Amino acid sequence: MMVRVPSPRAVFVDYPVGRTFGRPGASEQHERVLADALACLGSFTVTGQIIDLPHQWEPGGSRLWEAALTKDFLG
Amino acid sequence: MPFDYLSMMARRAAPNPPRELKPVSKPAWQPVSKPLSEMRAALLTSAAIREASQPKFPSAGDASYRQVSSDPKVTDLKIDHRSHIGTDARRDPEIVFPRTALMSLAERGLVGGVTPFHLLFVGGIRLYRELEEDLAPALAGELSQAGADLAVFIPY
Repeated sequence: MMVRVPSPRAVFVDYPVGRTFGRPGASEQHERVLADALACLGSFTVTGQIIDLPHQWEPGGSRLWEAALTKDFLG
Repeated sequence: MPFDYLSMMARRAAPNPPRELKPVSKPAWQPVSKPLSEMRAALLTSAAIREASQPKFPSAGDASYRQVSSDPKVTDLKIDHRSHIGTDARRDPEIVFPRTALMSLAERGLVGGVTPFHLLFVGGIRLYRELEEDLAPALAGELSQAGADLAVFIPY
């Protein structure tokens, strides 16, 4: 979606949609994601560029959350 | 590979056609003119969050916005966005509206400051003309008046 609707500067966090900064109550995680996103500010050179942050929803990189998210969306 | 949200949204919309993704006519670009540690920052999110005392966001077709205090101690927030993905955000709005995190970064000196309020509106609406011609200029005016150097938009 970010590719199709470009913004001047965009950072992508590969977390489930609606949980951009992390898990509920995980204030340190929220701050880390925001700080990492803001740290990219000087790295953008052109409109539409997207920088991927390295954060993963599950520590081991599991993608099982995708099935749960699909169930939330589609019932 | 990132999760394919567009396919999922299309499946959810069926048998209606998938949502149209409409790029803005003129993406804005402003050069970075000072270090982050000297910038005053604001948050924008389309999660339809408001202070409990403010008027509720209508369920659809609304291009209004609310100013919400940037003080994390103002905790009586409501989320009017009717989304299937909102379960966690209703438990902790900070996951889409990181007001406390931003204030903490400012207190640590990583960010120069925070505007007195943040700006919130409804996502997932189809009022493309109103968004570009009415809402966006109004938000830009608010940000300018608040002395914001940087706006962080969190889509929802």
